[in-house]
Amino acid sequence: MSGSNRNFVLAYAFLVILPLVGLAGILKAGRSLTAPISIDGLWTLRVDSTQLDSLPCGKVLAVPDKTIAIAQSGRTFVLTFPSGQRLTASGTLDGTKLRAFLTPPRGSSDNSCADGHQLSLLASVDRRAGSNLLNGTLSAPDCQSCASVGFHAERQAPASKGGH
Amino acid sequence: MPNLFTLVLQITVILAVCRLVGSLFRKFHQPRVVGEMFAGILLGPSLLGWIAPQFSAYLFPPSSLGFLNALSQVGVVIFMFLVGLGINPKELKHQSHAAVLVSHVSITAPFVLASLLALYLYPRVSDDSVSFTNFALFMGAAMSITAFPVLARILNERDMMQTRLGTIAIACAAVDDVTGWCILAYIVVLIRAAHGTASIWMTLGGILLFVVIMIYGVRFLLRGLERTFHKYGEISENRMAFLLLLALGSALCTERLGIHLLFGSFLMGAIMPKEPKFVRYILDRFETITITLLLPLFFAFTGLRTNVGLLKGPAMWFYCGLIILVATGGKLGGSTIAGRLSGMPLREAAGLGTLMNTRGLMELVILNIGLDIKVISPALFSMMVLMALFTTFMTTPVLEWICPDRILRPEFGKVPAKEAQLQGSIMESTGGSAA
Repeated sequence: MSGSNRNFVLAYAFLVILPLVGLAGILKAGRSLTAPISIDGLWTLRVDSTQLDSLPCGKVLAVPDKTIAIAQSGRTFVLTFPSGQRLTASGTLDGTKLRAFLTPPRGSSDNSCADGHQLSLLASVDRRAGSNLLNGTLSAPDCQSCASVGFHAERQAPASKGGH
Repeated sequence: MPNLFTLVLQITVILAVCRLVGSLFRKFHQPRVVGEMFAGILLGPSLLGWIAPQFSAYLFPPSSLGFLNALSQVGVVIFMFLVGLGINPKELKHQSHAAVLVSHVSITAPFVLASLLALYLYPRVSDDSVSFTNFALFMGAAMSITAFPVLARILNERDMMQTRLGTIAIACAAVDDVTGWCILAYIVVLIRAAHGTASIWMTLGGILLFVVIMIYGVRFLLRGLERTFHKYGEISENRMAFLLLLALGSALCTERLGIHLLFGSFLMGAIMPKEPKFVRYILDRFETITITLLLPLFFAFTGLRTNVGLLKGPAMWFYCGLIILVATGGKLGGSTIAGRLSGMPLREAAGLGTLMNTRGLMELVILNIGLDIKVISPALFSMMVLMALFTTFMTTPVLEWICPDRILRPEFGKVPAKEAQLQGSIMESTGGSAA
């Protein structure tokens, strides 16, 4: 074997084969890691519409189609209403607990939103139901006299992965 | 039914903004494609949706995005066919030890570093519906890709196509792309098999059979097309339509087999006859509409999915910085070290590393697949898009700094001048909207 060939083989072993062996180790080590539970997808919100009226900005949620979409990125998520309500919420996930603040859209038809009220969403994921149920409350943090409104949400059948 | 007015309005705005920003970037010696990628981000929630949410909602209502996506995907399918067409396997056979080492290191170094980074990122930006193995493999594949088309464009613009640096970079980028796509295909098969009914072995067997049919059956048909071209100096419209049908049919087969449309069209391009005049002729017929009309739609659609606003807080920006650092360190650093160990002077090795770090459009294609199959989250998608923009944007100025024109050493002896010129123009064409 010539000198240049030997150098090539050595360099190849150190720079290509050895890292690939390391990759196998990384993949093995990574299997023990746990990621936050998945809440990504579409959920059907079940909430008493009459109770919502008592909350500032509650009317913006009182729409016939109560589907909510959650786009999750690790411990953070963005919640939107695909049915057309331009209502978004950013939230965080801590274990099985969700916390989010819903900001009503500018120019909302609900006059009680005019003062920039926010709705707070607190919920927990029911792991016994395969993480497909959410139970929680909606409240207005800046309204002491307003009662919280309970809700449930059920995850719709997830879109098949790899689908387009 | 699509709202035709909205769709045409969207296309008009996208084309105008992409052309404008692309031209602006050309003034800063950047390939047009970088400007068009940037224009896509500007049209999305990161800028337009942030400063003018009502206009953004009017221009891009969620119900209309399916049609925009469909059009853009057709464009990417044809574009991948053109990319495959630009890759010549025969050229790779004659590459030196340097090219073999650099190409393999430029895959393994970013791949392994990305997997290492995945150990840190997985608990922070992923969720338990994605396995760590799939997450790490995807991150590796996404970081090890090189934008063969954009690279070719940069080399041609700097008249480097016939230099040793240019020929090695092109060969390495081609190897990287083919390898990256094979790894990605494997990941897609793994993920889809886990959620589908067909077993992974059935899927892999089907893919293998399909590749064999393409290489030993369809390629034979294509040689007939090449002979017709040489005999008459042109190809009839019917035969061109037949070629397009084959590309689309191949794309459909790979989609049905459980990988992705794009693999089929890429494979179809890769098995096409590679005689430069024939390739040039085919490109001339396909590239204008694809590059000027359909690809900007893909950039815009990618921009609409990219939301820099999702990177909230210093932690998210720290992750983004880490991704850029690891991607650049793995690709640029790995290629530079390999080039140096292969006997290249330091400047030339660093220049090669800089070129290999170009990710561009190919990265966006891979990231969109990753988001579709939900192996990456929206925030991670946005970070990776920023990484793609950053690494592509830095290529030209860093290359200019490391390898000024005066130190490049042309090796015209390797390729006859006329053929080299034609080959350069072919690669420039597959440089996408960089043209």
